[in-house]
Amino acid sequence: MSILEEAPPMTEAIMARGVARAFGSVKAVQNATLSVQAGKVTALIGPNGCGKTTLMLMLAGLLKPDAGEIRVAGADPRTDSAAVRAAIGWMPDQLGSWDNLTCLQTLTLVGRAYRIPQAEARAKGLALLHRVHLDEFADRPTRVLSRGQKQRLSLARALVNDPSVLLLDEPANGLDPRSRVELREFVREIAAEGAAVLVSSHVLAELDEMVDDAVFMSKGSTLGDDAAAMVAHARTRYRVWALDEVKLREALTGGNVPFEEAEGGVIVSIADQTEAAYALAWLVGQGVQVHRFGPAGSALEQTYMAMDEERR
Amino acid sequence: MTATDTAPFPPTPTPATKVPPRKGNPWRPTFGGVWLVTRVELLRRRPSVKGYIFYGLLLAAILALGILVAVVAGDDMTSTPLELVLVLVLGAGMLIGPSLSATSINGDSGEGVLAPLQMTHLTAGDLAVGKLLASWFVSFAVLVTTAPFLLYAYSRSGWHWHELLTVLGVIMAVVLVSTAIGLAWSAIAARAVASVSLAHLTTGFFLIGTLVIFAFTMPLVSETVTNGQRYIDWERLTPEQSEALDEAYMTGDFSQLDAESYVCVEDTWDMSVAHTERTAWMVLVNPVVVIGEVSPIVSTETYEEDGRAAPGLFAMMHQMVSSARIGPTEFDLESSSYDECAELVRWAEAGTQTWDDSEWEDQWAEQQEEQANYPRAPWLGLAVQAVLFVGSMAIVIRRLRVPYRTLRTGTRVA
Repeated sequence: MSILEEAPPMTEAIMARGVARAFGSVKAVQNATLSVQAGKVTALIGPNGCGKTTLMLMLAGLLKPDAGEIRVAGADPRTDSAAVRAAIGWMPDQLGSWDNLTCLQTLTLVGRAYRIPQAEARAKGLALLHRVHLDEFADRPTRVLSRGQKQRLSLARALVNDPSVLLLDEPANGLDPRSRVELREFVREIAAEGAAVLVSSHVLAELDEMVDDAVFMSKGSTLGDDAAAMVAHARTRYRVWALDEVKLREALTGGNVPFEEAEGGVIVSIADQTEAAYALAWLVGQGVQVHRFGPAGSALEQTYMAMDEERR
Repeated sequence: MTATDTAPFPPTPTPATKVPPRKGNPWRPTFGGVWLVTRVELLRRRPSVKGYIFYGLLLAAILALGILVAVVAGDDMTSTPLELVLVLVLGAGMLIGPSLSATSINGDSGEGVLAPLQMTHLTAGDLAVGKLLASWFVSFAVLVTTAPFLLYAYSRSGWHWHELLTVLGVIMAVVLVSTAIGLAWSAIAARAVASVSLAHLTTGFFLIGTLVIFAFTMPLVSETVTNGQRYIDWERLTPEQSEALDEAYMTGDFSQLDAESYVCVEDTWDMSVAHTERTAWMVLVNPVVVIGEVSPIVSTETYEEDGRAAPGLFAMMHQMVSSARIGPTEFDLESSSYDECAELVRWAEAGTQTWDDSEWEDQWAEQQEEQANYPRAPWLGLAVQAVLFVGSMAIVIRRLRVPYRTLRTGTRVA
């Protein structure tokens, strides 16, 4: 991935503003605005049917938006969708593979479709299969792959053209826990190599550790700064469990610290790590027997839930 | 994606060359792209063991049919076996080609293997033409399968080799067109069931529908010809007259008959004669007729001197089509009259029953010969095929171009 060496530094790999798309009377995407930086992983989060896949299709240059501006790797999909598609690696949410072809054949033929010479395309196919740990399946037909393996083949296929922008639509679906951890590292690495990654997922706990930015979508619209503020707020929430809860509450009330009730403990707002260390010391100093102390779950999940609450 | 704590991550493969930038027209097919798509499609359809067994059985059936015909047939030249094989190749091609192509776009889209290819440097034309050729090659395989029998049948058909090549070329072209129509339906319809049925319906329309419409439109172009006839009024005969007439018919001896004394009645009857020359173009659009119209002309009179077999299926078809194209002759349109009384007088004078059919027979033979030698007319049918082909491929390429403006209703991009 030599994009950084050869092209002038470009931080906004994907830019979308006011994008809308309707299918007949169904407004799949109403107003989507987002930007994805090169070298960063951005999450696209939202409930089922909120328009994530449609938005990704428009970014990939497969679907024409009804309105709005899109730039991918500096190109406009409306006028130069071929350049957009060439810059993109797209892993669709639907897993399709040519049943009768082997994994290596699949990747080689996709490489050929990108006009990579035969020998090179084959070498690249082998390297990618190695990278996604499907070496042993190189000469076996893709129909024998399990769902998770197909998922990985699909990821390898998205990387055949050394994309500078990677769109991953629900990549963690159907993966076992080990594969999820691997996927997370894989995605981080691709970003470290300079690609911009946009990843949509429901598995929020996974995303929490994977992404630099998050874009929330609801009912076809992206939630801009509000959601970002909510994520920032969620990151300040710490959960405290004590052996004697009454004593914990008394200490907090006595110290004039605002708190909210949560199952098994209380939630307090803490700005950063230093403050957290100080707070814990203070609580212990008050004689509260704290047995657990830590961030109150996934920030993304909390934001998602809060957003979902509003939706209802 | 190695586990963190075990092996270090393998180095990223560094590409020797970057992906070349995409140039040129977004839809025009390229040689390399078409070949790649065809290869992918053929690799995907590589027959399984069952497929090879089926293929073997088919081959065996064709060979058996060939041997059967060779044994049953005499030593005479005959073009029928050749024509049977040609019809078989056409029929199989028109069934197989559209069946395969009609699932090729909506099926792929449903399986999620179409969009990843559309993301690459392949153009819409590459995908369209590649898929078309891949489906068509299967029909071509049928032709190759029948080759042994085809050669045998050809050797005794009295056809010239260039005639055979022309007909084979036209058959494969017609199959290609119906394959393209199937592909177009596949690009339009969301479900494979719908596109396959529509593809076969379209083929069926051209094969059978054209003939049905031709038949149904005959009354619209018919004119009525009134024929007169005179015959003996049996009810007003005296018993003696009746007996004498019976006697004469039984014995064939008309000399004793007093023909003049019989009472005659006159009557007219209407006959409709269709001006098929006005509607014959409907038949010419039929692909099978197109095949017949490119096959050699076989004279009904001089085929032996010409070194040909007696007129076979295609020659007969050409005769029928020519008859439709020529339409009714003056003779057909002219009122004819039959006069039993006059015949009776003639027979009474001659003393016996005589028939003067030579004029009829000559006319019939002349008409046959005229029809058989009538110039061939494949051009209208070929033009229609060309229009269908171009139209279908235009639809397919339009529907394969990304970004999609509209989707097939009820489908997703994939």
